[in-house]
Amino acid sequence: MLKYALKRLLSSLAVIFFVTLITFFVISVIPGDQAILALGLDATQESLDTLRSSLGLDRPFVVRYFEWLVDAIKLNFGYSAVYGESVVKLIASRLPVTFSLTVFSILIASIFSSLLGLIAALNKGKVSDGIIRTSVLVISSLPSFWVSLIALIVFCGKLNLFPVNGYIAPNESFFGFLRSITLASFILAFGELALMTRMFRSSLVRSLADDYMISCDVKGLKRSRALLHYAARSAIIAPITLIGNQAAKLFGGTVIVETVFSLPGIGRLLLVSVEQHDIALLEGVVLFITLMVVLMNFLTDMSVALADPLIRLSGGEAK
Amino acid sequence: MKKIITLLLVLSLAFSLFAGGSAEKNETVKKDIITMAIPVDPDGLDPQLTASASTFQISSNIYETLITVDDKGEIIPALASSWSVSEDGLAITFVLRDGAVFSNGNPCDSLAVKASFDRLTSDISVRRADYSFITSIETPNANTIVFKMDKLNVAALSSFAYPWAAVVDASAENLRNKPVGTGPYVLTSWTAQQDLVLDLNKDYPYEVKNEGVRFVIMPDLTAEITALNAKEVDLILITGDLASAVENKGYNIISVAGNGLQLMAMNSSNKALSDIRVRQAINYAVNKDEVIEAVWWGYGKKIGSHFPVVLKDYVDYSENYSYNPEKAKELLAEAGYANGLTLRMDLPKNYQEYVNAGIVIAQSLKKVGITVDINIVEWAYWLSEVYVGRNYDLTVVGHTGRLDPYALLVKYLSYGNENYFNYANSEVDALLEKYQSELKDSKRSEYVKRIQEILANEVPALYIQDPIQIFVAQSDIFGFKAYPINIYQMKEVYRTK
Repeated sequence: MLKYALKRLLSSLAVIFFVTLITFFVISVIPGDQAILALGLDATQESLDTLRSSLGLDRPFVVRYFEWLVDAIKLNFGYSAVYGESVVKLIASRLPVTFSLTVFSILIASIFSSLLGLIAALNKGKVSDGIIRTSVLVISSLPSFWVSLIALIVFCGKLNLFPVNGYIAPNESFFGFLRSITLASFILAFGELALMTRMFRSSLVRSLADDYMISCDVKGLKRSRALLHYAARSAIIAPITLIGNQAAKLFGGTVIVETVFSLPGIGRLLLVSVEQHDIALLEGVVLFITLMVVLMNFLTDMSVALADPLIRLSGGEAK
Repeated sequence: MKKIITLLLVLSLAFSLFAGGSAEKNETVKKDIITMAIPVDPDGLDPQLTASASTFQISSNIYETLITVDDKGEIIPALASSWSVSEDGLAITFVLRDGAVFSNGNPCDSLAVKASFDRLTSDISVRRADYSFITSIETPNANTIVFKMDKLNVAALSSFAYPWAAVVDASAENLRNKPVGTGPYVLTSWTAQQDLVLDLNKDYPYEVKNEGVRFVIMPDLTAEITALNAKEVDLILITGDLASAVENKGYNIISVAGNGLQLMAMNSSNKALSDIRVRQAINYAVNKDEVIEAVWWGYGKKIGSHFPVVLKDYVDYSENYSYNPEKAKELLAEAGYANGLTLRMDLPKNYQEYVNAGIVIAQSLKKVGITVDINIVEWAYWLSEVYVGRNYDLTVVGHTGRLDPYALLVKYLSYGNENYFNYANSEVDALLEKYQSELKDSKRSEYVKRIQEILANEVPALYIQDPIQIFVAQSDIFGFKAYPINIYQMKEVYRTK
């Protein structure tokens, strides 16, 4: 188990190194940089050269990358060029928004999809199965910018149920906090619904057909008990993996929903850092997202191990 | 007796004025916080380190310039209570208002002002080149500062009114997010992509009509309008296509032609576009009214040369090449492109209106046989490849005006480094060279008008419109004005009871 964890750690470090290197390379080679953005329509070749050298952008990209890397190893992630604020502080300020959006939307999606998946699996091939499968597909296929705008106009504008104007921190007002992220969480959850419901349904269908269900019947076990204790338990492994992946994706930010609901999350920070060629900020955000993906994968593996005795008993290497 | 009658007359007059005033404005100012929605964060709050309008709209409330302009473009005092230009025009003297202090308590005397201008002309500054005309700065006493130059520059005085010439505390650290100025407000908090809170600066000596300002960052315009309807914000800036969503709802709508212009530049180093007949054909082929209607819903003033309608020497050339697709085809055939022509058009993605305008124009050009390959690019790419690199055929963009027309027209100086049109005309060059040292106002207007005429005839660009800005305020919000330079003066905005 320890060897396995160590191996995972080393491969994660390699992933992080390459992801940050590639990001740095791409942002450096595409046309445009911080100097030209600052100068805007007043840019001339001469003023550009002066500003570039005073910002240190005229040095080769390899040098700049290793400078960043050495600082990053010392846990110094530098300052954002746009905001003049430390990168760590900026990312930390986004965590409450991104974290609560991710948790709420995954929670909502899990509840709905497991219920719908269960109903569909039990009624496999019947009308209700068809209705559920089609409707979740339709809901998830709606473009999120459109749903967001409609929801904003109806629920915030017409009905006045939710605030239009951005995020409210839980320590300011807990109720206000819930109101400020409810709509966005639901819309994000809708996007995950189809995939998760289908996954839940198909793995339940498979486990319901398994031999042990017959032995449950033979044993005279109550249907509900057999369903919860045996079928659902073995059917949950695939959805857990999926939930982990989707959560990792949401941690990377959800630019469209954040933009429409004026929520200051990781996604918009990433967008700004790319548009503004803010390299320190971009590298910081990319590093954060990579870490989150690595972490979520690790956590998923662990929960799968807990749920699946085959993996648990073999010490986590049976994958 | 006569005196008493005069006194009575004066008194009654004064009283009637007073009464009239209060009857007309039966409203009392309620000191309150004003909330304005803005689409993006400012690019830092250090006015010397950026050229972004998003910065100046906010920084103009925290810092003061020596002089500023009113909504008509007239120069008025700000940090300097008075100023004078020497007889030969080579020295400008400013007298600072008494007791000015920065928000951190440091005195804002002539030495501090000098330090700020030294910073503005240093390597880190973005507008360094614009102030290279200053050869020395003298501070004869704590309240007086003299700027000297060795060559006459008629735009020198107005260059002190631009928001990037604001006086900053050059000794302060990190002005980008901890601005220190002498203006009506101080920055209390800035949560990136959420909001900026400005509180009153207690040391500011003049009237401020509200209790503070909160700028909330709302990237989506529909969300801004919804927030206005829900009374969560007081003031927003919208585009013409959304004007119908706020009309007849009791809002105060302030729509004014801005000091700026929007155009489609044509690169004269492209073989086809170097032919004046092709450029004229393109001008004939496009129905500008239709473009303005389709893209800006009619909120724009059609133009025909590189000059905003609000500046005083404006001449109307908007009908110079009025829509005539037949004529366009003839001209193209004459130029040897009877069988068609293909051009590339680069459009800046961040400006949806320019992208839309480009698409509409491309449709019109197709009808006369010009195929346009549209290429939508990032702003940073656009700046470096199209604008500085001059590697393009056609592009749509907007320019904001300055107080002095030279800064606008210098883009056509054949050897100038802002001439992204690659345009060359020796008469324009000569006029621009003479303009800078011409002391007589009438002569300068003559030059400016002649340049407009040449550009209107030779059309190095398709000049589309002077955009109309539309600000929408709650029915109880007054005092917001648009200025000929891109600043907001929030101290004038107030709520009525």
